[in-house]
Amino acid sequence: MTSQLGKAPRQLPVIRACSIPRIEMAEELDFQYDPEKNYDEETLAQQKEIEREIVDTQQLVGERVSFDRLIREYAQEDEIYREKIEHLKNLYSCVRKTRGDGNCFYRAFGFAYLEKLLVDRTDVERFKDVVSKSLKVLVGLGFPQFTIEDFHETFLDIVNKVTNHCTHQELIDTFNDQGLSDYIVVYLRLIVSGHLQQEAEFFANFIEGDRTVKEFCNQEVEPMGKESDHIHLKALTDALGVCIRVEYMDRVDTHTCNHINFPEDSKPTIVLLYRPGHYDILYSNADMILFQRNLPK
Amino acid sequence: MANIAEQRIKREFKEVVKSEEVAKCHIKVELVDDSYRELRGEIAGPPDTPYEGGNFLLEIKIPETYPFNPPKVKFLTKIWHPNISSVTGAICLDILRDQWAAAMTLRTVLLSLQALLSAAEPDDPQDAVVAKQYKENPKIFQQTARHWTNIFAGGPLREKDLESKVTQLIGMGFDQNKARIALSTYNWNVEQATEYLLS
Repeated sequence: MTSQLGKAPRQLPVIRACSIPRIEMAEELDFQYDPEKNYDEETLAQQKEIEREIVDTQQLVGERVSFDRLIREYAQEDEIYREKIEHLKNLYSCVRKTRGDGNCFYRAFGFAYLEKLLVDRTDVERFKDVVSKSLKVLVGLGFPQFTIEDFHETFLDIVNKVTNHCTHQELIDTFNDQGLSDYIVVYLRLIVSGHLQQEAEFFANFIEGDRTVKEFCNQEVEPMGKESDHIHLKALTDALGVCIRVEYMDRVDTHTCNHINFPEDSKPTIVLLYRPGHYDILYSNADMILFQRNLPK
Repeated sequence: MANIAEQRIKREFKEVVKSEEVAKCHIKVELVDDSYRELRGEIAGPPDTPYEGGNFLLEIKIPETYPFNPPKVKFLTKIWHPNISSVTGAICLDILRDQWAAAMTLRTVLLSLQALLSAAEPDDPQDAVVAKQYKENPKIFQQTARHWTNIFAGGPLREKDLESKVTQLIGMGFDQNKARIALSTYNWNVEQATEYLLS
Protein backbone atom coordinates (compact mmCIF):
# COMPACT_ATOMS: atom_id res chain seq x y z
CA MET A 1 0.00 0.00 0.00
CA THR A 2 2.87 2.35 0.79
CA SER A 3 3.92 2.61 -2.82
CA GLN A 4 0.33 3.35 -3.85
CA LEU A 5 0.17 6.19 -1.39
CA GLY A 6 3.28 7.77 -2.82
CA LYS A 7 5.08 9.57 -0.05
CA ALA A 8 3.63 7.97 3.04
CA PRO A 9 4.17 10.37 5.92
CA ARG A 10 6.75 9.10 8.38
CA GLN A 11 4.66 10.54 11.13
CA LEU A 12 2.00 7.91 10.47
CA PRO A 13 1.68 6.30 13.88
CA VAL A 14 2.23 2.66 14.55
CA ILE A 15 -1.16 1.02 14.33
CA ARG A 16 -2.34 -0.36 17.60
CA ALA A 17 -5.95 -0.95 18.30
CA CYS A 18 -7.37 -0.65 21.80
CA SER A 19 -8.57 -3.40 24.00
CA ILE A 20 -11.95 -4.51 25.24
CA PRO A 21 -12.67 -7.61 27.28
CA ARG A 22 -11.65 -10.71 25.35
CA ILE A 23 -14.22 -13.38 24.61
CA GLU A 24 -12.34 -16.17 26.33
CA MET A 25 -12.00 -14.11 29.45
CA ALA A 26 -15.57 -12.97 29.14
CA GLU A 27 -16.88 -16.51 29.26
CA GLU A 28 -14.88 -17.30 32.34
CA LEU A 29 -16.31 -14.34 34.18
CA ASP A 30 -19.82 -15.11 32.98
CA PHE A 31 -19.71 -11.77 31.21
CA GLN A 32 -22.13 -11.19 28.36
CA TYR A 33 -20.32 -9.35 25.62
CA ASP A 34 -22.70 -6.93 23.99
CA PRO A 35 -21.43 -5.92 20.54
CA GLU A 36 -23.66 -2.85 20.52
CA LYS A 37 -22.03 -1.51 23.61
CA ASN A 38 -18.79 0.36 23.42
CA TYR A 39 -16.74 -0.51 26.46
CA ASP A 40 -14.02 1.97 25.65
CA GLU A 41 -16.58 4.75 25.54
CA GLU A 42 -17.73 3.78 29.02
CA THR A 43 -14.24 3.97 30.47
CA LEU A 44 -13.67 7.21 28.61
CA ALA A 45 -16.85 8.69 30.07
CA GLN A 46 -15.67 7.87 33.59
CA GLN A 47 -12.32 9.46 32.84
CA LYS A 48 -14.04 12.57 31.49
CA GLU A 49 -16.01 12.88 34.72
CA ILE A 50 -12.83 12.86 36.80
CA GLU A 51 -11.24 15.38 34.42
CA ARG A 52 -14.23 17.70 34.77
CA GLU A 53 -13.91 17.61 38.52
CA ILE A 54 -10.24 18.58 38.31
CA VAL A 55 -11.02 21.43 35.89
CA ASP A 56 -13.64 22.77 38.30
CA THR A 57 -11.36 22.76 41.31
CA GLN A 58 -7.81 23.45 40.13
CA GLN A 59 -6.41 26.37 38.14
CA LEU A 60 -4.02 25.49 35.33
CA VAL A 61 -1.41 27.62 37.07
CA GLY A 62 -2.53 28.69 40.52
CA GLU A 63 -1.50 31.33 43.05
CA ARG A 64 1.59 30.98 45.21
CA VAL A 65 0.78 29.31 48.51
CA SER A 66 2.69 28.97 51.74
CA PHE A 67 4.03 25.69 53.08
CA ASP A 68 1.68 26.04 56.02
CA ARG A 69 -1.20 25.76 53.60
CA LEU A 70 0.41 22.84 51.83
CA ILE A 71 0.83 21.00 55.11
CA ARG A 72 -2.93 21.15 55.70
CA GLU A 73 -3.43 18.80 52.74
CA TYR A 74 -1.92 16.04 54.83
CA ALA A 75 -3.35 14.29 57.82
CA GLN A 76 -1.89 15.08 61.24
CA GLU A 77 -0.54 11.56 61.52
CA ASP A 78 1.13 11.67 58.10
CA GLU A 79 4.52 12.28 59.66
CA ILE A 80 6.68 11.49 56.68
CA TYR A 81 5.09 14.19 54.52
CA ARG A 82 4.80 16.73 57.33
CA GLU A 83 8.45 16.33 58.15
CA LYS A 84 9.43 16.72 54.53
CA ILE A 85 7.37 19.88 54.14
CA GLU A 86 9.07 21.31 57.23
CA HIS A 87 12.37 20.55 55.56
CA LEU A 88 11.30 22.31 52.34
CA LYS A 89 10.19 25.28 54.40
CA ASN A 90 13.80 25.82 55.44
CA LEU A 91 14.98 25.86 51.84
CA TYR A 92 12.15 27.56 49.97
CA SER A 93 9.74 30.42 50.40
CA CYS A 94 6.53 29.12 48.79
CA VAL A 95 4.87 26.83 46.20
CA ARG A 96 2.82 27.53 43.09
CA LYS A 97 0.43 24.73 42.28
CA THR A 98 -0.52 23.53 38.83
CA ARG A 99 -3.50 21.50 37.66
CA GLY A 100 -3.10 17.74 37.98
CA ASP A 101 -4.08 16.93 34.41
CA GLY A 102 -1.03 14.93 33.33
CA ASN A 103 0.46 18.02 31.68
CA CYS A 104 1.69 19.53 34.94
CA PHE A 105 5.39 19.00 34.28
CA TYR A 106 5.26 20.90 30.97
CA ARG A 107 3.05 23.65 32.36
CA ALA A 108 5.09 24.04 35.54
CA PHE A 109 8.34 24.06 33.58
CA GLY A 110 7.02 26.50 30.94
CA PHE A 111 5.54 28.89 33.44
CA ALA A 112 8.44 28.86 35.90
CA TYR A 113 11.02 29.34 33.18
CA LEU A 114 9.20 32.16 31.35
CA GLU A 115 8.44 33.82 34.68
CA LYS A 116 12.17 33.72 35.41
CA LEU A 117 12.89 35.33 32.02
CA LEU A 118 10.65 38.22 33.06
CA VAL A 119 13.12 39.16 35.81
CA ASP A 120 16.42 37.76 34.56
CA ARG A 121 17.19 38.36 30.91
CA THR A 122 20.60 36.71 30.69
CA ASP A 123 19.23 33.61 28.93
CA VAL A 124 16.78 35.36 26.57
CA GLU A 125 18.74 35.40 23.31
CA ARG A 126 20.08 31.89 23.70
CA PHE A 127 16.64 30.50 24.47
CA LYS A 128 15.00 32.24 21.51
CA ASP A 129 17.69 30.86 19.27
CA VAL A 130 17.12 27.29 20.52
CA VAL A 131 13.36 27.61 20.07
CA SER A 132 13.77 28.99 16.53
CA LYS A 133 15.99 26.08 15.54
CA SER A 134 13.63 23.48 17.02
CA LEU A 135 11.16 23.97 14.17
CA LYS A 136 13.51 22.52 11.58
CA VAL A 137 14.26 19.49 13.74
CA LEU A 138 10.58 18.67 14.14
CA VAL A 139 9.65 19.16 10.51
CA GLY A 140 12.62 16.96 9.63
CA LEU A 141 11.17 14.18 11.80
CA GLY A 142 8.14 14.02 9.53
CA PHE A 143 5.46 15.79 11.54
CA PRO A 144 2.91 17.62 9.34
CA GLN A 145 4.60 20.94 8.67
CA PHE A 146 1.65 23.24 9.08
CA THR A 147 0.55 21.93 12.47
CA ILE A 148 4.13 22.11 13.74
CA GLU A 149 4.47 25.66 12.43
CA ASP A 150 1.26 26.63 14.15
CA PHE A 151 2.45 25.39 17.55
CA HIS A 152 5.90 26.80 16.99
CA GLU A 153 4.64 30.28 16.09
CA THR A 154 2.27 30.46 19.04
CA PHE A 155 5.01 29.35 21.40
CA LEU A 156 7.44 31.88 19.97
CA ASP A 157 4.78 34.64 20.23
CA ILE A 158 4.46 33.91 23.92
CA VAL A 159 8.24 33.91 24.41
CA ASN A 160 8.41 37.25 22.58
CA LYS A 161 5.63 38.66 24.74
CA VAL A 162 7.70 37.77 27.80
CA THR A 163 10.91 39.21 26.44
CA ASN A 164 9.07 42.40 25.48
CA HIS A 165 8.28 42.86 29.18
CA CYS A 166 4.68 41.78 29.48
CA THR A 167 3.34 42.03 33.02
CA HIS A 168 3.43 39.17 35.49
CA GLN A 169 -0.36 39.05 35.40
CA GLU A 170 -0.35 38.75 31.60
CA LEU A 171 1.89 35.70 31.86
CA ILE A 172 -0.37 34.17 34.51
CA ASP A 173 -3.42 34.86 32.31
CA THR A 174 -1.74 33.33 29.27
CA PHE A 175 -1.05 30.13 31.20
CA ASN A 176 -4.61 30.02 32.48
CA ASP A 177 -6.11 30.44 29.01
CA GLN A 178 -6.80 26.80 28.22
CA GLY A 179 -6.11 27.11 24.49
CA LEU A 180 -2.86 29.09 24.69
CA SER A 181 -1.70 27.10 27.68
CA ASP A 182 -2.27 23.83 25.83
CA TYR A 183 -0.41 25.19 22.80
CA ILE A 184 2.61 25.66 25.06
CA VAL A 185 2.24 22.15 26.45
CA VAL A 186 1.97 20.66 22.97
CA TYR A 187 5.08 22.44 21.74
CA LEU A 188 7.13 21.36 24.76
CA ARG A 189 5.90 17.79 24.23
CA LEU A 190 7.00 17.99 20.61
CA ILE A 191 10.43 19.24 21.66
CA VAL A 192 10.78 16.25 24.00
CA SER A 193 9.67 13.87 21.26
CA GLY A 194 12.04 15.48 18.76
CA HIS A 195 14.99 15.26 21.12
CA LEU A 196 14.29 11.64 22.10
CA GLN A 197 14.08 10.65 18.44
CA GLN A 198 17.20 12.58 17.53
CA GLU A 199 19.12 10.86 20.31
CA ALA A 200 17.26 7.57 19.92
CA GLU A 201 20.35 5.42 20.26
CA PHE A 202 21.07 6.79 23.73
CA PHE A 203 17.49 6.96 25.01
CA ALA A 204 16.56 3.48 23.75
CA ASN A 205 18.41 2.13 26.81
CA PHE A 206 15.97 3.82 29.17
CA ILE A 207 12.71 2.80 27.62
CA GLU A 208 10.74 0.15 29.44
CA GLY A 209 8.80 -2.53 27.64
CA ASP A 210 9.34 -3.83 24.17
CA ARG A 211 9.00 -0.65 22.16
CA THR A 212 11.07 1.67 20.04
CA VAL A 213 11.86 5.28 20.92
CA LYS A 214 9.38 6.38 18.26
CA GLU A 215 6.64 4.17 19.69
CA PHE A 216 7.42 5.55 23.14
CA CYS A 217 7.07 9.10 21.79
CA ASN A 218 3.76 8.26 20.09
CA GLN A 219 2.42 6.66 23.27
CA GLU A 220 3.95 8.53 26.21
CA VAL A 221 5.14 11.92 24.99
CA GLU A 222 3.03 13.40 22.20
CA PRO A 223 -0.51 12.74 23.51
CA MET A 224 -1.85 15.36 25.93
CA GLY A 225 -2.23 14.24 29.51
CA LYS A 226 0.55 11.64 29.49
CA GLU A 227 2.61 12.01 32.64
CA SER A 228 6.31 12.76 32.68
CA ASP A 229 9.16 10.74 34.06
CA HIS A 230 12.93 11.17 34.29
CA ILE A 231 13.36 10.51 30.60
CA HIS A 232 10.98 13.36 29.66
CA LEU A 233 12.71 15.73 32.09
CA LYS A 234 16.11 14.83 30.78
CA ALA A 235 15.05 15.26 27.17
CA LEU A 236 13.38 18.66 27.69
CA THR A 237 16.20 20.15 29.75
CA ASP A 238 18.83 18.81 27.31
CA ALA A 239 16.95 20.04 24.25
CA LEU A 240 16.34 23.54 25.61
CA GLY A 241 19.58 23.85 27.58
CA VAL A 242 17.64 24.88 30.69
CA CYS A 243 18.79 23.57 34.08
CA ILE A 244 16.18 22.58 36.64
CA ARG A 245 16.11 21.00 40.07
CA VAL A 246 13.37 18.65 41.20
CA GLU A 247 12.70 18.11 44.90
CA TYR A 248 11.22 14.64 45.31
CA MET A 249 8.70 14.35 48.10
CA ASP A 250 7.60 10.74 48.37
CA ARG A 251 6.73 8.21 51.05
CA VAL A 252 10.30 7.00 51.42
CA ASP A 253 11.14 7.41 55.09
CA THR A 254 14.14 9.75 54.81
CA HIS A 255 13.07 12.85 56.81
CA THR A 256 14.14 15.17 53.98
CA CYS A 257 13.32 15.43 50.28
CA ASN A 258 15.88 14.19 47.81
CA HIS A 259 16.66 16.41 44.90
CA ILE A 260 17.97 15.78 41.41
CA ASN A 261 19.37 18.38 39.04
CA PHE A 262 18.83 18.09 35.31
CA PRO A 263 21.56 18.02 33.98
CA GLU A 264 23.27 16.52 37.02
CA ASP A 265 26.15 18.93 37.58
CA SER A 266 24.25 22.10 36.66
CA LYS A 267 23.16 25.16 38.59
CA PRO A 268 19.36 25.13 38.36
CA THR A 269 17.38 28.13 37.08
CA ILE A 270 14.05 26.85 38.36
CA VAL A 271 12.94 24.31 40.95
CA LEU A 272 9.97 21.97 40.74
CA LEU A 273 8.37 20.00 43.53
CA TYR A 274 7.47 16.42 42.71
CA ARG A 275 4.88 14.51 44.65
CA PRO A 276 3.93 11.09 43.23
CA GLY A 277 2.26 11.80 39.87
CA HIS A 278 2.46 15.58 40.07
CA TYR A 279 4.75 18.59 39.63
CA ASP A 280 4.38 22.05 41.18
CA ILE A 281 6.76 25.03 41.26
CA LEU A 282 9.01 25.97 44.20
CA TYR A 283 10.37 29.46 44.91
CA SER A 284 13.42 30.23 47.03
CA ASN A 285 13.79 33.37 49.13
CA ALA A 286 16.29 34.63 46.57
CA ASP A 287 13.67 34.13 43.82
CA MET A 288 11.13 36.13 45.79
CA ILE A 289 13.55 39.02 46.28
CA LEU A 290 14.36 38.98 42.56
CA PHE A 291 10.65 39.07 41.66
CA GLN A 292 9.98 41.92 44.07
CA ARG A 293 12.80 44.00 42.63
CA ASN A 294 12.53 43.26 38.94
CA LEU A 295 8.99 42.26 37.99
CA PRO A 296 7.48 44.59 35.38
CA LYS A 297 4.46 46.20 36.97
CA MET B 1 -17.22 26.35 18.40
CA ALA B 2 -13.98 27.32 20.01
CA ASN B 3 -11.92 29.52 17.75
CA ILE B 4 -8.81 27.36 17.89
CA ALA B 5 -10.69 24.28 16.70
CA GLU B 6 -12.36 26.10 13.84
CA GLN B 7 -9.20 27.80 12.55
CA ARG B 8 -7.34 24.56 12.73
CA ILE B 9 -9.99 22.54 10.86
CA LYS B 10 -10.20 25.17 8.13
CA ARG B 11 -6.47 24.89 7.55
CA GLU B 12 -6.54 21.12 7.68
CA PHE B 13 -9.41 20.94 5.29
CA LYS B 14 -7.32 22.81 2.73
CA GLU B 15 -4.37 20.54 3.46
CA VAL B 16 -6.32 17.34 2.82
CA VAL B 17 -8.09 18.70 -0.23
CA LYS B 18 -4.82 19.48 -1.99
CA SER B 19 -2.87 16.42 -0.77
CA GLU B 20 -1.59 13.90 -3.26
CA GLU B 21 -3.72 11.12 -1.76
CA VAL B 22 -6.80 13.08 -2.71
CA ALA B 23 -5.43 13.59 -6.18
CA LYS B 24 -5.09 9.81 -6.46
CA CYS B 25 -8.61 9.31 -5.03
CA HIS B 26 -7.32 7.44 -2.00
CA ILE B 27 -8.87 9.71 0.60
CA LYS B 28 -11.39 12.52 0.57
CA VAL B 29 -12.99 14.87 3.04
CA GLU B 30 -16.06 17.08 2.63
CA LEU B 31 -18.00 19.55 4.71
CA VAL B 32 -21.44 18.46 5.86
CA ASP B 33 -22.55 22.05 6.50
CA ASP B 34 -20.79 25.38 7.07
CA SER B 35 -19.99 24.77 10.71
CA TYR B 36 -16.77 22.76 10.34
CA ARG B 37 -17.99 20.73 13.31
CA GLU B 38 -18.97 17.76 11.23
CA LEU B 39 -17.18 16.42 8.20
CA ARG B 40 -17.65 13.51 5.87
CA GLY B 41 -14.57 11.44 5.13
CA GLU B 42 -14.02 8.78 2.54
CA ILE B 43 -11.25 6.22 2.14
CA ALA B 44 -10.58 3.74 -0.62
CA GLY B 45 -10.13 0.11 0.39
CA PRO B 46 -6.41 -0.67 0.11
CA PRO B 47 -5.14 -2.99 -2.64
CA ASP B 48 -4.57 -6.67 -1.85
CA THR B 49 -7.17 -6.64 0.91
CA PRO B 50 -10.80 -7.79 0.85
CA TYR B 51 -11.71 -4.10 0.93
CA GLU B 52 -10.04 -3.35 -2.41
CA GLY B 53 -12.24 -1.44 -4.82
CA GLY B 54 -14.66 -0.36 -2.08
CA ASN B 55 -15.26 3.21 -0.91
CA PHE B 56 -15.89 3.67 2.78
CA LEU B 57 -17.71 6.70 4.16
CA LEU B 58 -16.81 8.08 7.58
CA GLU B 59 -18.58 10.37 9.98
CA ILE B 60 -16.08 12.83 11.49
CA LYS B 61 -17.15 15.02 14.41
CA ILE B 62 -14.82 17.73 15.67
CA PRO B 63 -14.92 18.34 19.44
CA GLU B 64 -14.67 21.87 20.82
CA THR B 65 -11.34 20.98 22.36
CA TYR B 66 -9.82 19.99 19.02
CA PRO B 67 -6.87 19.59 18.32
CA PHE B 68 -6.09 18.76 21.95
CA ASN B 69 -8.62 15.94 21.79
CA PRO B 70 -9.10 13.62 18.81
CA PRO B 71 -11.91 13.89 16.27
CA LYS B 72 -14.75 11.40 16.79
CA VAL B 73 -14.78 9.09 13.81
CA LYS B 74 -16.96 6.15 12.84
CA PHE B 75 -17.70 4.18 9.69
CA LEU B 76 -21.00 5.00 8.00
CA THR B 77 -20.45 2.30 5.40
CA LYS B 78 -20.96 -1.14 6.86
CA ILE B 79 -17.73 -3.09 7.04
CA TRP B 80 -16.54 -6.52 8.25
CA HIS B 81 -13.29 -5.90 10.12
CA PRO B 82 -12.03 -7.01 13.59
CA ASN B 83 -11.36 -3.45 14.78
CA ILE B 84 -14.59 -1.90 13.51
CA SER B 85 -18.03 -2.70 14.87
CA SER B 86 -20.13 -4.42 12.20
CA VAL B 87 -23.18 -3.04 14.01
CA THR B 88 -22.34 0.59 14.85
CA GLY B 89 -19.26 1.40 12.78
CA ALA B 90 -17.35 2.33 15.96
CA ILE B 91 -13.60 2.14 15.48
CA CYS B 92 -10.94 0.79 17.81
CA LEU B 93 -7.79 2.70 16.94
CA ASP B 94 -5.24 4.07 19.39
CA ILE B 95 -4.85 7.49 17.78
CA LEU B 96 -8.59 8.10 18.00
CA ARG B 97 -8.43 7.37 21.72
CA ASP B 98 -5.55 7.87 24.11
CA GLN B 99 -2.75 8.20 21.58
CA TRP B 100 -4.03 11.19 19.71
CA ALA B 101 -1.48 14.00 19.48
CA ALA B 102 -2.33 17.59 18.65
CA ALA B 103 0.21 17.61 15.82
CA MET B 104 -1.82 15.01 13.93
CA THR B 105 -4.35 15.97 11.30
CA LEU B 106 -7.44 14.66 9.54
CA ARG B 107 -5.12 13.44 6.84
CA THR B 108 -3.16 11.42 9.43
CA VAL B 109 -6.43 9.93 10.67
CA LEU B 110 -7.68 8.93 7.24
CA LEU B 111 -4.34 7.39 6.27
CA SER B 112 -4.17 5.53 9.59
CA LEU B 113 -7.65 4.12 9.03
CA GLN B 114 -6.61 2.99 5.60
CA ALA B 115 -3.59 1.34 7.18
CA LEU B 116 -5.89 -0.34 9.71
CA LEU B 117 -7.85 -1.90 6.82
CA SER B 118 -4.56 -3.37 5.54
CA ALA B 119 -3.40 -4.62 8.92
CA ALA B 120 -6.09 -5.69 11.37
CA GLU B 121 -5.28 -6.18 15.05
CA PRO B 122 -7.49 -9.13 16.02
CA ASP B 123 -6.02 -9.26 19.53
CA ASP B 124 -7.47 -5.84 20.32
CA PRO B 125 -10.87 -6.20 18.72
CA GLN B 126 -13.78 -3.83 18.50
CA ASP B 127 -16.01 -6.53 17.09
CA ALA B 128 -15.35 -9.77 18.96
CA VAL B 129 -17.36 -11.90 16.50
CA VAL B 130 -15.38 -10.68 13.50
CA ALA B 131 -12.09 -11.01 15.36
CA LYS B 132 -12.84 -14.61 16.29
CA GLN B 133 -13.60 -15.46 12.67
CA TYR B 134 -10.47 -13.61 11.50
CA LYS B 135 -8.34 -15.78 13.76
CA GLU B 136 -10.14 -19.12 13.47
CA ASN B 137 -11.45 -19.09 9.89
CA PRO B 138 -9.27 -16.70 7.93
CA LYS B 139 -10.60 -17.89 4.57
CA ILE B 140 -14.23 -17.37 5.55
CA PHE B 141 -13.27 -14.01 7.01
CA GLN B 142 -11.76 -12.90 3.68
CA GLN B 143 -14.86 -13.99 1.77
CA THR B 144 -17.22 -12.32 4.21
CA ALA B 145 -15.27 -9.06 4.20
CA ARG B 146 -15.19 -9.10 0.39
CA HIS B 147 -18.92 -9.79 0.27
CA TRP B 148 -19.66 -6.87 2.60
CA THR B 149 -17.36 -4.64 0.53
CA ASN B 150 -19.27 -5.66 -2.60
CA ILE B 151 -22.70 -5.13 -1.05
CA PHE B 152 -22.12 -1.96 1.00
CA ALA B 153 -19.03 -0.23 -0.38
CA GLY B 154 -19.40 -0.81 -4.10
CA GLY B 155 -16.54 -3.30 -4.33
CA PRO B 156 -16.32 -5.11 -7.68
CA LEU B 157 -15.84 -8.68 -6.46
CA ARG B 158 -18.96 -10.77 -5.93
CA GLU B 159 -19.07 -13.78 -3.62
CA LYS B 160 -21.78 -15.74 -5.42
CA ASP B 161 -21.87 -18.66 -2.93
CA LEU B 162 -22.49 -16.27 -0.10
CA GLU B 163 -25.06 -14.29 -2.08
CA SER B 164 -27.07 -17.43 -2.80
CA LYS B 165 -27.13 -18.29 0.90
CA VAL B 166 -28.49 -14.82 1.67
CA THR B 167 -31.10 -15.29 -1.08
CA GLN B 168 -31.99 -18.67 0.41
CA LEU B 169 -32.77 -17.10 3.79
CA ILE B 170 -34.65 -14.19 2.19
CA GLY B 171 -36.75 -16.89 0.47
CA MET B 172 -37.58 -18.22 3.91
CA GLY B 173 -38.97 -14.81 4.80
CA PHE B 174 -36.06 -13.28 6.70
CA ASP B 175 -34.94 -9.68 6.39
CA GLN B 176 -31.97 -9.34 4.02
CA ASN B 177 -29.64 -7.54 6.42
CA LYS B 178 -30.50 -9.71 9.39
CA ALA B 179 -29.92 -12.78 7.24
CA ARG B 180 -26.52 -11.45 6.12
CA ILE B 181 -25.45 -10.66 9.67
CA ALA B 182 -26.60 -14.06 10.96
CA LEU B 183 -24.81 -15.90 8.16
CA SER B 184 -21.63 -13.83 8.60
CA THR B 185 -21.70 -14.46 12.33
CA TYR B 186 -22.19 -18.23 11.95
CA ASN B 187 -19.48 -18.68 9.33
CA TRP B 188 -22.14 -19.06 6.58
CA ASN B 189 -23.64 -22.18 8.13
CA VAL B 190 -27.25 -21.86 6.94
CA GLU B 191 -28.66 -24.14 9.62
CA GLN B 192 -27.06 -22.29 12.53
CA ALA B 193 -27.94 -18.91 11.04
CA THR B 194 -31.58 -19.96 10.63
CA GLU B 195 -31.71 -21.28 14.16
CA TYR B 196 -30.31 -17.99 15.43
CA LEU B 197 -32.81 -15.95 13.40
CA LEU B 198 -35.68 -18.01 14.76
CA SER B 199 -34.60 -17.77 18.40
